[in-house]
Amino acid sequence: MKKRFLLMVMGTFALSLLASAGEKTKTPDSPIYVMTNDDGQLHSYASFYQAGGSQGAPTLTYLTSVNTQGLGIGGGFFGTPRLAMLPSSSAQCLYVSDASSGDIAAIDIQTQQLVGNFAGSSNDNGTSNGIGLAMNQSYLYAGYTLSNTIATFSVGAGCQLTFLGDITVTPLNGGWVAGMALNGNILVVTYIDGSIQSFNISNGIPLSNNDEQNATGFASAFFPDAVDITQDGHFAIFADSAIATTVEVSDISSGKLMPTVMYTLGDAARSITLAVNSATVRLSPDQSLIYIGNSQSGTVTAAYFNKNTGKVLPGCTSKQLNNFYNPWSYIGELATRDTTGTGNVLYAAEFGSSIAIINVNVTTPLCTLTEAVSSPIGDDFSPGLLSIQVFPPRPF
Amino acid sequence: MRAIIKSGFLFLMCAVACAGASAQLQICPPRPQPGTLVVNPLNLYSQNGVLSVNLTLQNQLGSDGFMHYCYVYLNQGQQVEAPTLRLNPGDRLELNLTDNIQAPYNRYPPKMTMHMTVPHRPGAKPGDPCNGGMIMPSTTNLHFHGLNVPPVCHQDDVIYTLIQSGDPPFNYDVQIPANDNPGMYWYHPHAHGFATTQVDGGAAGALIVEGNIPGTQGLPERVFVIRQQFNNPNSWLPGPNQLTVNFQPAIFPERQSPYINMQYNQPEFWRIVNASTQAFLTLQVQFTAGVQQLEVVALDGVPLQTPIYQTEVDIPPAGRAEIVVPGIPQDQEGVVMTNGFDTGPVGNPNSPQQLIKIFGTDNQKLKVHPAPPPAKPPADRPRFAGLLTQTPTTNRSLYFSEQTVGSNGPTQYFLTVNGQKPHVFHMDDPPAITTNIGAVEDWTIENRSGEAHAFHIHQLHFLLMAINGVPVQNPELYDTFTIPNWSGSGPYPSITVRMDFRDPQIAGTFVYHCHILDHEDGGMMAKIQVNPANN
Repeated sequence: MKKRFLLMVMGTFALSLLASAGEKTKTPDSPIYVMTNDDGQLHSYASFYQAGGSQGAPTLTYLTSVNTQGLGIGGGFFGTPRLAMLPSSSAQCLYVSDASSGDIAAIDIQTQQLVGNFAGSSNDNGTSNGIGLAMNQSYLYAGYTLSNTIATFSVGAGCQLTFLGDITVTPLNGGWVAGMALNGNILVVTYIDGSIQSFNISNGIPLSNNDEQNATGFASAFFPDAVDITQDGHFAIFADSAIATTVEVSDISSGKLMPTVMYTLGDAARSITLAVNSATVRLSPDQSLIYIGNSQSGTVTAAYFNKNTGKVLPGCTSKQLNNFYNPWSYIGELATRDTTGTGNVLYAAEFGSSIAIINVNVTTPLCTLTEAVSSPIGDDFSPGLLSIQVFPPRPF
Repeated sequence: MRAIIKSGFLFLMCAVACAGASAQLQICPPRPQPGTLVVNPLNLYSQNGVLSVNLTLQNQLGSDGFMHYCYVYLNQGQQVEAPTLRLNPGDRLELNLTDNIQAPYNRYPPKMTMHMTVPHRPGAKPGDPCNGGMIMPSTTNLHFHGLNVPPVCHQDDVIYTLIQSGDPPFNYDVQIPANDNPGMYWYHPHAHGFATTQVDGGAAGALIVEGNIPGTQGLPERVFVIRQQFNNPNSWLPGPNQLTVNFQPAIFPERQSPYINMQYNQPEFWRIVNASTQAFLTLQVQFTAGVQQLEVVALDGVPLQTPIYQTEVDIPPAGRAEIVVPGIPQDQEGVVMTNGFDTGPVGNPNSPQQLIKIFGTDNQKLKVHPAPPPAKPPADRPRFAGLLTQTPTTNRSLYFSEQTVGSNGPTQYFLTVNGQKPHVFHMDDPPAITTNIGAVEDWTIENRSGEAHAFHIHQLHFLLMAINGVPVQNPELYDTFTIPNWSGSGPYPSITVRMDFRDPQIAGTFVYHCHILDHEDGGMMAKIQVNPANN
């Protein structure tokens, strides 16, 4: 016991040495932050919470709220990611979009201080439904929902952004840019109207891959909203705004979107009360599960995912979340607490002002999603919470 | 929102002040200024069994900043907007409608202009307005809301009848059924996808089937057409809007309310149509002495079996209420309020609003509600007679539901037969329901969404049998009825209605839908096909 303790102390010491040498490397004991884009219309904040509690009884403790010095709109598309950071424990910067003032606020994650605000062009406008963000080491992309523009910023030292230029997107059915995700050289976006598109971002500013298409669900009036991409960049997974929990998977290994395969994970008539409007999606860290926010029914679903084949199988759906803001409010973005396995704990942004905390238990083939006793916790600065992230993040 | 309204009125005041200086081509008749006397719309009466009317639907951005869509009638050389059409049971309405809608169609053009094609009928001539085709912002047609008339072109078909701007006048030839109920109906455009814009612009008018409504003879009669105008009817955010009373904005306290003068102690007969695109009216009359008991004598164009006495009369979008209002006591004043309505957590605001200010007077002359027309022997029993005692041939379940891609929308709207797949309505959809002449059906219609809806079916009235499964004590006939929002748990709010398909005149294909018009335009609609009896 003592020996094991000693080894642990030594290991911890060694890791902390590494942390001080390698800039901002996090140790396993480092705090886990849950961060929100509060999207307020009068004052907009990014709020920080610290994950805690014990196994099976997770908690969140409020730390602080950072004024972004910009203004939000208090809502918008469910699948639009309004927070971005590098998928690495060494990430320093959290980027927070201010949909009303049109800028991107950069916040130092460790100091929880605002670094600056960065704007795109005068044409960029996200005042209708928000500004979506996606980033890699070099670039940050901002999708403006009203102007239908995607701005490219280069990412510099100290969280600085430099605006490089815009492209204008043209959804097939009159929609707006909404969901965004990137992996390697591909940026995948959804347009809320059933159409989706990918771009080559190897040179920074997105260049269309000429693969704009209606997703398979379009024929059923199922419209991809949020999107996530597997770690190896093989598959893009779309969450559909639909009358039943529905995801669509596109093979993007060629560097382009292939036609999507649609998976409806429940009977429409039955699930209308359980799982309507599956608008948000998040892969678990080990990619064995897809977490789906059933936005309009206050539930979350876990579906089994085969990362090699892209196939999806039904898993489990939670009960309606406790004290859900109101039954007709919405679930926004999802994030996992842990960076390995299933993530163990799932956080769900609840439109309005709260964060749900959900325990994930998987004993294949069974899974359960059980809301923690302490859930939800209030996110008091947010009039319309839809976006949430965890630091350290999932590694992709 | 108030700030926006206020700035709108600054614009209005400027526009009015400048009106003399810039002679604008008058396409739509000027509408009354806020705070002025409310007058009845021009009445057009049938003569010798026929009412012939020429109407032109045209549009113009008004000096009030709203896009007007006006049914223009030329009355002795003067443009008059949206006259009231008055006919007796059995009369014919010959209405020639000219479509003169021109771009721009909205003050704020929609980002996406919808074009929809209605498949041509087999063997029909191209270019025939009865033949379907493209529905564009400049396309229109007419629906005679509440009339129990055939769903065929030149009468009351809204599926294939598409009149295009610049077409020759289109002739409607509608015979009011001899056994139809006396009461208030209305006419409005129904081109799918553009009904909201056109009705929001004011394209609506009253249609009255004359006849005996007990308790109203000899009473001064008023006709109120309550409309609603949105700054941007194409926005899926509700945005600034205002109710109007016979085209006069009701925006108290920003401006004085429209007003009427009531003769002291003289009860009046008020005929009210809710021609708004989405407002649920909850009407109340208040005198100085307090809230008044109103005698409801007819709803949706059908006299009630026995009057209902209420202090608040609820009228869904497209509904009508005909009421007897007590005389205003000597030296008192009053107001007509709409008290607001909870449309549910995802419904649009439906705030209280003073609609009309009432002044008492000793000297008020109004045209009185006429005595019943010379007694024609009733050709048949009244429409829908004996429906209550019929045994339904079929029971069906339907439900309203919605899904949305974001907290601000846009929303997809569904009206689904239980067991079928929820689906945004398209004009080329097959009928969701098929039945036969002679059928009597009970439909239970649930609301599974977070906002209220107003169920409406064309060509017939239905008997309201139950609300939330609880039988109604005195079932009455309606053509539009509110189903409140679902709270998110527990049973869905529902109504059970009895549909009467016994009349062979209504054979054909027609629609049922939510009468919140942007829901209808957004796809909360479906077709029903009623086959002739021998099918």
